[in-house]
Amino acid sequence: MLSYVTSELSRRPSRTVAAVISIGIGIALFVSLQAYANGFRAAARAPLSEVGADITAQRQGDVPEEFEGIVYPHSVAPIDPDEIKAMAAIEGVEDVAESLFFWSFDEEGFLAGLGFDPSVDFGPGRLKAGLTEGRFLQPGDSDVTIVDTSFAIQNALGLDDTVSIAGRQFVIVGLVDTASVGQIANANVYLSLADAREMAALAPNVLAVHDMGPDDANLLFLKAEQTQAEDVVAAVEVVLGEKALVSSAESFGGQLGALFDLIDRFGVIVGLSAFLFAVAILLRTVAAGVWERRREVAMMRAVGWRHRNITRQLMSETLVVTFLGGLVGLALAWLATAVMSRSDVTVPVPWELSPSPHFLPGGAADVTVVVPLDAQVTLTTVVIALVLSLVAAALVSLWLPRRIANIKPAEVLRSE
Amino acid sequence: MSDLLRAESLCKSFGKVSAVRDLSLHIERGEIVAMMGRSGSGKSTAMHMLAGLEQPTSGRVLSDGRDLADLDEDDLALWRRANIGLVFQAFHLIPTLSALENVAFPLYPEKMRPKERRERAAIRLEMVGLTNRAEHRPSQLSGGEQQRVAIARALINEPGLILADEPTGNLDTETGHEILELFHQLRDDAGVALLIVTHDDEVAASADRIIGMKDGGRVDA
Repeated sequence: MLSYVTSELSRRPSRTVAAVISIGIGIALFVSLQAYANGFRAAARAPLSEVGADITAQRQGDVPEEFEGIVYPHSVAPIDPDEIKAMAAIEGVEDVAESLFFWSFDEEGFLAGLGFDPSVDFGPGRLKAGLTEGRFLQPGDSDVTIVDTSFAIQNALGLDDTVSIAGRQFVIVGLVDTASVGQIANANVYLSLADAREMAALAPNVLAVHDMGPDDANLLFLKAEQTQAEDVVAAVEVVLGEKALVSSAESFGGQLGALFDLIDRFGVIVGLSAFLFAVAILLRTVAAGVWERRREVAMMRAVGWRHRNITRQLMSETLVVTFLGGLVGLALAWLATAVMSRSDVTVPVPWELSPSPHFLPGGAADVTVVVPLDAQVTLTTVVIALVLSLVAAALVSLWLPRRIANIKPAEVLRSE
Repeated sequence: MSDLLRAESLCKSFGKVSAVRDLSLHIERGEIVAMMGRSGSGKSTAMHMLAGLEQPTSGRVLSDGRDLADLDEDDLALWRRANIGLVFQAFHLIPTLSALENVAFPLYPEKMRPKERRERAAIRLEMVGLTNRAEHRPSQLSGGEQQRVAIARALINEPGLILADEPTGNLDTETGHEILELFHQLRDDAGVALLIVTHDDEVAASADRIIGMKDGGRVDA
């Protein structure tokens, strides 16, 4: 029967091509939309994955009364050790990195600082990868700092120079290209968490609006089990209360605009609709084929083919068409994703995650992460597409026997 | 000679129209029978009932003593495959298949190696003198050649009986004669019985026996 199948398909090229293309387009749309959505999801993870975290946790606080000495931007209020422990204990949380973000205003000007634990290798610990000169911070360091290269150039600073932070002198031991590492919690100077806590605990303009404890942090980086990330976000929000500012891949996805939102929400539905439309076209094509070939089907009956022989023949043809359609669809999807992958995605980083004073020049500038759209056809999507092709063939095959049974050989052979 | 096929009091109505009325006949091994009548006389309907393609309204068709009414559609298909060959005026070849593949067409559902199937088809094609046209498709063959392919297809399972509905109706006189000669040759060489439905006096005259049909009933001369 295989030779008959190949003869039918190869010698009726227009019908075969129409059916293959209709299924192919359905599959291609389905797979491409998934690849597109996956690419955007990967892009949405980029700002956080750059710093090796899955979630950032902050709490919104009050605007400082005066911008003098150490102050906290209103997006980072203190988070106490009990709250930090509670977050670390949430199911799905793998690790927590604490940091303290602050602004410093003095006679020499403004700078943004971040205190962190250099022994932790994610969150601000990732800065190590951006070190351009000198050394990185080490556990136990005090009164030393590493400085962002742009800030250093702007202020003619180099290794072994000192930086004044709220009147305290810090020796520069390293320079780091912050922008190359990430865009979250970028500061001008980085110091040990202990030093930052000491200064904040004594800062009048911090204490004026916050109840600051000696072991508090105000910006946390969480590593979480990917599959539980959204549950962790919800639990962190509960711990931090109504002023929680929690960022995750999901929240960054929300920043990507309406197109991604549409594809993310309706990608599967649109893809499936396209596929069902293709199945409808396939059904119509097969129906037209059976009608055109009713004399042939009648002859099959006349020369001794049983119903199941005829059904098997037509099913085989449908199966081959859907299989070819699946291959064409995957090839088209591969082409489409190759084209998509040439584009970039600009992910806006909310001001709260890298705050700088609005009233300073450039303070309100948008911070973005630009990443290539990594639209890839995943194995899962390929498997789903091929299963859908089989489902299409099965749907058509379920309907075929009834269609064939309606062909009465005597009527057809008499009238022809 | 014994009966290959016997019809007893066959009737067929389509609504209020009576196509065949009280038709009884038998066909014996190795004989050529012509069923003759004008267009609309019920001869094609009768042939379809004899082939199990059409259910009679009443009466019965017996094959080796077995009532075809006892067989379901699939069993009837298998019965046709094993016992009869069908030839139609319009040839009814599969346009996408070659002459050889068309001859082998009834064998496709059978579990058989493709080589064996091709060999069997090639033998039948040789019997009708078309070995050199084996790879041609129907559109590349003349009417006479197409009918020869159809006859070879009817012979593929070595049936005892061929039912031919106006087999020369679409052919010119000379080609029609060739087909009739082929039928006689098949009868003589292979012992095949033939029921030829025709409205052509000349075709009928070539038969061993003539069954006349008029207004759905038998009117033997």
